[in-house]
Amino acid sequence: MTSREKILASIASNKPTLVTLPNVPIFEGDGSIERFKTVLEGIGGTAVELTTKAECQEAIDKYYHDLVNVASDIVKANVAVNLDTTKEILEQVDLAVIQGEIGVAENGTVWVPESNMLNRALPFITQHLVLVLDKNNIVANMQQAYDKLEDIGNYGVFIAGPSKTADIEQSLVIGAHGARSMMVLIY
Amino acid sequence: MKVALFIPCYVDQFYTNVGVSTLQLLEKLGVEVVFPMKQTCCGQPMANGGCEQDSKGVYEHFVETFSEFDYVVTPSGSCTYHIKKHYDIIEQTPAVQKVRKSIYELVDFIENVLKIEEIPNSFPHKVGLHLSCHGQRGLRQANASEITGVRDGQISKLLRKLNGIELTELERNDECCGFGGMFCVTEEAVSARMGQDRIADHLRNGTKVLTGGDVSCLMHLEGIVKRQNAPIKVMHIAEILNGNQP
Amino acid sequence: MNHPDHPELAEAFNKDFERTTWHDETLWFVRQKRDKAVYPVPEFQDLRTLASEIKDHTLSNLDNYLIEFEENATKNGVKVHWAADATEHNQIVMEIIKNSCKVEGRNARLVKSKSMLTEECHLNGFLEKNNIDVVDTDLGERIVQFRNEPPSHIVLPAIHLKKEDVGETFHKHLGTTKGEKDPQILTEAARQHLRGKFVAADVALTGINFAIAETGSFVVCTNEGNADLGVNLAKVHIACMGIEKIIPKLHHLSVYTRLLARSATGQPVTTYTSHFTKPVEGKEMHIVIVDNGRTQQLGREDFRSSLKCIRCGACMNTCPVYRRSGGHSYDFTVPGPIGAILSPNIDLHKHKSLPFASTLCGSCSDVCPVKIDIHVQLYKWRQIVGQANELPAAKKWAMKGMAKVLSMPKVYNLSGKLARGALRILPHGLTHNQSMNPWAKARELPDAPKQSFKEWYEENRK
Ligand code: SF4
Repeated sequence: MTSREKILASIASNKPTLVTLPNVPIFEGDGSIERFKTVLEGIGGTAVELTTKAECQEAIDKYYHDLVNVASDIVKANVAVNLDTTKEILEQVDLAVIQGEIGVAENGTVWVPESNMLNRALPFITQHLVLVLDKNNIVANMQQAYDKLEDIGNYGVFIAGPSKTADIEQSLVIGAHGARSMMVLIY
Repeated sequence: MKVALFIPCYVDQFYTNVGVSTLQLLEKLGVEVVFPMKQTCCGQPMANGGCEQDSKGVYEHFVETFSEFDYVVTPSGSCTYHIKKHYDIIEQTPAVQKVRKSIYELVDFIENVLKIEEIPNSFPHKVGLHLSCHGQRGLRQANASEITGVRDGQISKLLRKLNGIELTELERNDECCGFGGMFCVTEEAVSARMGQDRIADHLRNGTKVLTGGDVSCLMHLEGIVKRQNAPIKVMHIAEILNGNQP
Repeated sequence: MNHPDHPELAEAFNKDFERTTWHDETLWFVRQKRDKAVYPVPEFQDLRTLASEIKDHTLSNLDNYLIEFEENATKNGVKVHWAADATEHNQIVMEIIKNSCKVEGRNARLVKSKSMLTEECHLNGFLEKNNIDVVDTDLGERIVQFRNEPPSHIVLPAIHLKKEDVGETFHKHLGTTKGEKDPQILTEAARQHLRGKFVAADVALTGINFAIAETGSFVVCTNEGNADLGVNLAKVHIACMGIEKIIPKLHHLSVYTRLLARSATGQPVTTYTSHFTKPVEGKEMHIVIVDNGRTQQLGREDFRSSLKCIRCGACMNTCPVYRRSGGHSYDFTVPGPIGAILSPNIDLHKHKSLPFASTLCGSCSDVCPVKIDIHVQLYKWRQIVGQANELPAAKKWAMKGMAKVLSMPKVYNLSGKLARGALRILPHGLTHNQSMNPWAKARELPDAPKQSFKEWYEENRK
């Protein structure tokens, strides 16, 4: 018997009789931009409202003018990032500006599918991260988010604020391994 | 209504006053109470120690003693919980089922059977309520802080209505005192530390009289109070409701 | 072999009063953060019920879900492996590494994000013996790895350490200034050090928080971003999971992602909730599915619901005993209340003191996001320990004697009278002798009244 067979056989003989699977309702909730912003700020991120997506460039120029190496397919970039970009180049990225798909008001998280990332490592290796989000895509909670999210693709991440840790005496430190700051531009 | 009084073994032996107060209180509330003389214990100490099989004889003796009554009232949430929850290992005869249903913790009995919401006594003291876990989480006699931020429960409801009373607002409203049956000796270090921390919370927040629904927790806490010579008087809830003063 | 039991280790922990205070307060702070994150969610209790029921269902159909998961993962181009126990798990991981990275003249390099399963299997030591360099990349795990200690908590691995301890460790291993203890500076030092490790790694290993049968995907939750950083830079991704990590459908994540971080640290969600389905072209993804005692626990009716655990750590943060005895006092990979009901399944003799390391206060069961009745299971394990003759002899005979006395009213009345009499007559120094009476180390005995209640009743009411 292979281990696979052994494990499956052991489960079959040890599992209880079938219990029914409950239905998960789509809970209602406050899906306002205000709530999304407040929660995101509470977890160390920032949110800036724009009137149109075209204003992204202006916002980047305003908030991140001191950063040199920018990777993006939304705003002006000077580091070209794609699937084949080497680790050594990725390591140099100061700022990545990426399209987010769904924002969740209850926890300030934003869904970023692989197709928007340019390279899977980019949102994590960049020193600073900006996600761009259509305000019509903000939902109240995770039930609504997964309901909206039909296909998760090959890889996708809900990102909520900057990378953080509290592993030393429960003191919160922003910027553990991933992005040191995270901003959401809402249009 | 035939009501029996069950006085747990350690209360019988060490806290005569609590037994007397419980009886007097029930009598004042118009209940005719019988105290069956052959009672001993509910069997919890052995069962929590991992020997529930050995307690079966004690369980059966308990049922035999109390099955003729409509209600069995006891000043202990812990024993009540044990009988309701753990008397499932003996044969579920009608008598066993009846006892498991008719056993009531004192305050629960006053509020939910007698439907009494207020006892017209005065107790002009600052009182800290220790919520014993078995009454609180086991019998759901009080809200649990894991579930809600609203601090409320059966004992505090009655206490609040006493004239002149002030209730202590604790930092940790429902942290265990560390008694835990055999735990208090087998895990002496942690048990004592837990008790010390509870007393410190009460002292910091001004408790002058410490009360609760279980003598076992109070015995442990009183042991610490006395060792530390802390300015706290420990009284069981039955004593306060009965009108005794510190 | 004689292992120090929980009471001994807990007593040693409590010798340092101030540090015990600090440990208790630090974890209570986490519990309070959890409360603040939980109270405002109106459907939180419904979510707990759903989370519990989804897991109950999944366990009752676990074999079929695992097959479905394997099928879908395979279709996605992921290689699925099965391990019956820790040894096989470690062997599989090693072989994947050896086959996938033919490195010349140096050891293969593995970066690892948090995985309690690999702790349980003692993977690190095994790989190192086989010339594979292992770097734990979660900050807390890296700290304890440097110190050669096991984690003391499943979510906060270094919670037993003060910043001074971490400063000392980093001074030794990372060359930070001696005496430096600022968490900000220490974390930055770790960031710089680990960035190098991420970039240099050949293989990245992660745990799995949830595996989705319907899609063959799996989800990893972190705050630091170390899982994604490691995996997305390395050529090979190995993900290890216990069989119980399965959930049936993608949308079930909506329940667990609302519970996990709130319960664990009081955050509304973890910073990164990463969904892995397919590897990038030219890279490899492996999943190792591990039993290691879990199917046996599944067969124990009273204890199978312990497999619903999503490893949030809330039962540790809330446990008044854990907070005052520390994770290492449990001497098991998963400490605290949940560890105390998982460990006897693995080795009853070794862990026999753990079900007794509790007052049965029930806080763990009320805090648990998947509603495991932990304190009920502690009580039940106690009975099994008792039945297996694993109780200390003195305790066992005391209980048996007590049970006898308490079922015989006359004997009970007499022995009570004698005991009270003795307590009243004997000098304090004798009744409170601390080596004979552990009660009296920190507590006074109750005053023994002249009359028992029964005696009073006979005199006054009969
Ligand atoms: S038993 Fe419950 S509370 Fe404890 S770690 Fe597991 S899921 Fe969390």
